[in-house]
Amino acid sequence: MAYPDKAGFLKLIQENKGIIFKICNAYCYSPGHREDLAQEIIYQLWKSGQNFNPDFKFSTWMYRVALNVAISFYRKEKRSGDVISLSTHTAEIEMKEDDTNEHETNILLLQQFINELKPLDRALMILYLESKSYGEIAEILGITETNVATKINRIKNNLKQKFSTIKE
Amino acid sequence: MEADELKQIWQAYDKKIEEARILNLQSWVLNFRAFESIQMQKAKSKLGALLTVKWIAVILGIAWVAFLVYLIYHSLSYANIFFVASASIVAIITSIAIVVYIRHIVILYHINNCESITETQKKLASLQLSTLWIVRILLLQMPFYTTFFYTPYMIMHEGLRFWLISLPVTLLFGALAVWLYKNINFKNEDKKWFKLLFNSIEWTSITKAKQFIKEIEDFKNDRQ
Repeated sequence: MAYPDKAGFLKLIQENKGIIFKICNAYCYSPGHREDLAQEIIYQLWKSGQNFNPDFKFSTWMYRVALNVAISFYRKEKRSGDVISLSTHTAEIEMKEDDTNEHETNILLLQQFINELKPLDRALMILYLESKSYGEIAEILGITETNVATKINRIKNNLKQKFSTIKE
Repeated sequence: MEADELKQIWQAYDKKIEEARILNLQSWVLNFRAFESIQMQKAKSKLGALLTVKWIAVILGIAWVAFLVYLIYHSLSYANIFFVASASIVAIITSIAIVVYIRHIVILYHINNCESITETQKKLASLQLSTLWIVRILLLQMPFYTTFFYTPYMIMHEGLRFWLISLPVTLLFGALAVWLYKNINFKNEDKKWFKLLFNSIEWTSITKAKQFIKEIEDFKNDRQ
């Protein structure tokens, strides 16, 4: 697949906006900064178009660019002390727990647990939850498939344990 | 809880984000259509800020070297030999730092977000880390700021004042510069003097970059 023209690019962004949303939420807690990050990701996706390798799936390439931009952005924001603490985020969750159903609480908890992971582990779990194959995850992250499997297993067990502890 | 349940929660998250309209994607996709705004977006780009800082450093560095060259050119005489030598060494050391900064700029322009995440992030963090190397190089200038006012006349006629005050100060600065050049590296990050020098907020990015490189290595080698 060749890199699309402007109209095609915007169509692809619309189709894949869920990915951008989730990556932004995983690496940015402040709504204002999330918008900045989303803009940065779209800008970098367009800019990186010249390096698009048609042998790759668009989504694989998109994850690489989006996660790279998000991690760089996150590290920069963290350095400048602009990152809102997780406690603010947790407060939001606690507030909503009273008036939302269990289903929604689970979403917020999963989001919180993912946000507590290290930036690279976070990328790994996002890709896993997006149902990417181990091969594709390995390619995006630049590690071996065995490593992907071991890490996913470990983090998944951690997450499950956290869910169980909270629900007890 | 089963693994599939985690994935189900994650999928439900998609819908929730869409409903909550956490990001006003629609509006800036429309903005993006007005393609002229791309340059504005580029200027606003937070990640572009690193490049801006490096460009400013290069421009200021070049201006400083140009000023020094001007002074050197207009001071070429035996009487000013120490000034000419000191200013020349400062200009050379500053030029080395400028070349390293220009190299950083070139690398930054060529950083490819399409490469694997560990690869790209390691390159970016290593770039930040090499700022420490520039600091070491620039510190070598230190003793030459104590010699620019020396003159042959001063050495011949100032007697004890030169040998007991000026020269020891220069030697002290020289020794300190060489010692700092040799010892400023992360092997000494736990030492008190290192923390004192590099614990301020301006240096956080370098120490964080070092930690992040270790995190990347651990991630690649599956060390927890």
